[in-house]
Amino acid sequence: MPLKWVLHWQPNAGTTVNTQILNEVSQCVESINGVKEGRWKATLTSYKPMVREQSLTAEFPRDFFGISLPEQPNKYYFMIRGQRLVVEADSTIQTIMDKLQSYKSRVALCFEGFQYQLGDFQLRVGKVVPSHSENLRGIVMEVEYLPISSMEKARQIMEEFVDIWQEAISKRSLPGHFMHIEPNFSEYGLLDHYTPQHTAVQYATVVAQMIATQTVQATRN
Amino acid sequence: MMKPNALMQQQEPQAVAIQNSNQASSADAPPKQVAMAMDRLAQAARLIADVRLGADRLLEALFIAAQPHQSNKPLHLFAKEDTAMRQHLQDLRAVGRQLEESGVLNDSLRSRSNSWGLHMPLVCPDGAVVAYAWKRQLAGQAGASAVDRTRLALKAFTDQKRQFFPHLDDGLEGQSDEPASKKHCSTQVPPATLQEDLSDCKTLSDVLTRLEKEMPNLKVFTYERLDWLKRASSLPNSTNENPVEASKEHTFHSLNKLRTGSQGPVTTDKAAVIELLFPSVFRAIVSLHPAGSIDPDAVAFFSPDEGGSYVHTRGFSVHHVFRHITEHAAMALQHFLGIGTETALYSFCKCGRLLAMDRESSLLLPPVHRPYRHFSPLKVSSAPATSSAKDQFPGAYHIGCFSEEL
Repeated sequence: MPLKWVLHWQPNAGTTVNTQILNEVSQCVESINGVKEGRWKATLTSYKPMVREQSLTAEFPRDFFGISLPEQPNKYYFMIRGQRLVVEADSTIQTIMDKLQSYKSRVALCFEGFQYQLGDFQLRVGKVVPSHSENLRGIVMEVEYLPISSMEKARQIMEEFVDIWQEAISKRSLPGHFMHIEPNFSEYGLLDHYTPQHTAVQYATVVAQMIATQTVQATRN
Repeated sequence: MMKPNALMQQQEPQAVAIQNSNQASSADAPPKQVAMAMDRLAQAARLIADVRLGADRLLEALFIAAQPHQSNKPLHLFAKEDTAMRQHLQDLRAVGRQLEESGVLNDSLRSRSNSWGLHMPLVCPDGAVVAYAWKRQLAGQAGASAVDRTRLALKAFTDQKRQFFPHLDDGLEGQSDEPASKKHCSTQVPPATLQEDLSDCKTLSDVLTRLEKEMPNLKVFTYERLDWLKRASSLPNSTNENPVEASKEHTFHSLNKLRTGSQGPVTTDKAAVIELLFPSVFRAIVSLHPAGSIDPDAVAFFSPDEGGSYVHTRGFSVHHVFRHITEHAAMALQHFLGIGTETALYSFCKCGRLLAMDRESSLLLPPVHRPYRHFSPLKVSSAPATSSAKDQFPGAYHIGCFSEEL
């Protein structure tokens, strides 16, 4: 499976993300000859346990996520970040969870936008919005290199691509920059060969980072 | 235009006519000389064609005569053709003498004055006929490149014919033409060490053994031709297979099992397809013709995740980078009858970056060209590029940074 890096927009201190920035980013992709191909959407859900006694909630992991990915329409991925667990399940598990009512959705975030082809690279630029809302919470970008599945072998290529991308975007003088945080995949039991589980873990990391940043900003404000 | 039959009738007077025409030609204006020379060349070409046809007819007559229960018919045919052939050959000699005398087949007229700045037609060493010598430079180039192109096309066709219809082979198997690349006129003499080592590798087993020794990371498998097709179709395709199961498929042992299970151990004298798998980087397929030899006739590169019946030496990868590498490797193959080069995503181009925008296709690509003219198979290092490894072998180049002199 081709490997990808998930980048997210880190706004400068004191600024927030807005749709203008999103437009600029899309234009920047097209300026490096990206060809718009279609739409994409992923959904990440944060779960909370349903217990009778509120005091018991602390015993359950707070970072239980589920994510659906566009390339794997029949699968659903669960993660518990704190324990470095990631699991692939059939997408019908969501029905089972509904029936069980043991965990309910706390927050659901949608990542959606356009997909671009750039030779052997595929880029996805997406806004981050809570489901059923248009309130822009962030911007993500997936950089996928199609010919290779080994992360180590493709590392240099990906780094150079991101450098080229950063150079292009910096010309637009936007209040922020794209960041790539590479999770420690081996802690999750993931190997060098790229899999959708790697993508799930990257998204969970991105969301955690966004939450952390916005919490800091909120306390600042 | 004089027809061959007409010539036959004028057999006797012709000797005189030649004399006259030559005397006349020296008094003729150069344009007329040129025109006559062109005519005579055309005549000669026709006579040559007649000679060829006559030879075919003679062979046919002999063949019929060899059949049982024949009448005298073949004998008549033979006698008739014999006479005709002798006549053609005589006519050809006559025309040839005329051409020689008028200076067409050599440069003798160049020095003659009173040529109005024109020269007699020249037959260039590469077979092109040029009406005016002062155009020879241009025409020679055009003619030569046309000859080159035809030669390449003929070679490609012959190779394909030999490969797919070996029963039609007329025994010319062992001869392979030198690549007709014009730029390669001044052949690079390989260093002495290279020549020695290559001469050690005379058989396919030698080459493969050496390859496995030099590049331990590269996995080499051999197949008979049809068996490769089966394998290619069974290769997991990353878009429709569970990637976790697919990665299990790629382990060395299961691949080995697949190979030996389906066709038994392949003796190298039957090997027609070599698979070079550099795990996670590329899969290269080399086809050999004839099977078991060390003469590759095609090579193609693919992503290690690609699978399907299009994964063969004349197929193309869906990825741009491997398409470019395949094209370049095919050129290198033409140039350099050896095993295809390894590409590395580790090497740096002289511009210092791994990715560069290829202007032609507006895509970002890693270096895909490795200069093959000075390529020494001994020095390729399989380790990631450290500074010493870079010094050891010529790096790979982006398309834009690649220059033909290399």
